[in-house]
Amino acid sequence: MARLVRICAVMGLAAACANAGAAQDLRVPDSAVAGEQTSISTTGSGKATFYLAGPGVSRKNEVALGQEVRLTGHDLRDAGYYLAILCSETCRSAGFYVSAGKAASLSFIVHPSRVPVAQDEAVNGVAFPFDQYRNLVLAPVNVNFRLNTKDASLFSRAIRTQNGVAWFRTASGKSAGALQVVASLDDLTTRRAVQQVASDPCNLRITGQRTKTGILVQTEPVHDCSGNVLPDGTIVTFTATGPEGRDTVDAPIKQGIARAQMDSSGATTISVASGVVMGNEIRVGAQP
Amino acid sequence: MKAATKFVPGFHFPLFFAGVLLLVPALNSYAADAMVEVQLDVKKAAPRAIEELTEGRILRDYRFAWTSMAQALQFNTFDPLEGPFSGEARRWLRQTVTSQQQSGLSHRYTDQNHRLEAVFYSPEGDVVELHDTAQYHLQILDGEKDIHDENVVVHYVVLMTPGADRWTIRQLQAVPQF
Repeated sequence: MARLVRICAVMGLAAACANAGAAQDLRVPDSAVAGEQTSISTTGSGKATFYLAGPGVSRKNEVALGQEVRLTGHDLRDAGYYLAILCSETCRSAGFYVSAGKAASLSFIVHPSRVPVAQDEAVNGVAFPFDQYRNLVLAPVNVNFRLNTKDASLFSRAIRTQNGVAWFRTASGKSAGALQVVASLDDLTTRRAVQQVASDPCNLRITGQRTKTGILVQTEPVHDCSGNVLPDGTIVTFTATGPEGRDTVDAPIKQGIARAQMDSSGATTISVASGVVMGNEIRVGAQP
Repeated sequence: MKAATKFVPGFHFPLFFAGVLLLVPALNSYAADAMVEVQLDVKKAAPRAIEELTEGRILRDYRFAWTSMAQALQFNTFDPLEGPFSGEARRWLRQTVTSQQQSGLSHRYTDQNHRLEAVFYSPEGDVVELHDTAQYHLQILDGEKDIHDENVVVHYVVLMTPGADRWTIRQLQAVPQF
């Protein structure tokens, strides 16, 4: 053996001699794509056991050395690190990576599902491109984000993925109604919907009149500062302060207006609020 | 005269024995978990910053996931995969176990060291992307025969999402480099 090494060193063929000493060897692909077939070449002669170990696969079969080992698309459907191992008397191994294929779907998460109008940085979306085998596509691609209401385009931007993700954040629109949020990549399109609702009331005003049983108080039509009518069910709080003390009534908005009947016979001051917004104050005289 | 067996008041031997039996697997699990070293750097997390409590949970659950994965792929059993993995990661890990059961192979991951870097944390906090530079000793066995044995460094791109009581790994994809 020492003589063999000496001869190899003298001839400058150490690597070749090392190979000659090995019973078998294998050469893996430099690059492979998920779901695409490829092959591994082997050297040597006789039979050997071939193993493929990777994400989702653990294959073992007999092969003839010197021939190519075919790896099917099914063997390599998951992107990641694979080890090819060839064993006869000893084992030789080599690793290679399988990368994701072309984007075939977009995972698109949009928040929130319901948003008040005219809010800064209120709507955001995150998109992940995946290939047909659900491997994350890490090669940069452009994802186009578009936000449209029924009559206006609010936002349109192409964002390049970084580490397999693209995202945006923007303001909500001015008018209540459905907001279509679209992410597209080549011919792939994924849609989400966000419901834009009126924001806080603006210029909350009430009127009141005495009736036989007390005071009937009601709001003027309640709008936000963009002119959207507040949705039915929004609570308006009326507070009456008179000689009998203090009385509070919560009333829901119905078709833009909230009404309440307050029990008070003396001179009464009535104020109104909805959420964090205060309205005007009125004074109603005592019952004649 | 026959020696009387002495009992310590309040000490019940069968109960003690049962307790020891119950404790041993827990200690084993702790030992396996303790061998998985994980460090997490959250400085580059964007657009949302990762809160300290979240950082601790991610660390804890990522470490547990690798402990579980190592157990599943060593003993070819599905149970350890059920909590810490979801989505695609769970699918391919289960597929690997099924495939290993058929081929007779098993993986042994030891001396694990994971250097994690958070590179993306979504605005609403519902997904985090991590880059893991993992170093471990990997043995692949065909039955009892050792067919592969080496120390490796592998880079993983990881997507984790929060569940009811833990963060789960949804995507675990090895890449040549970041």
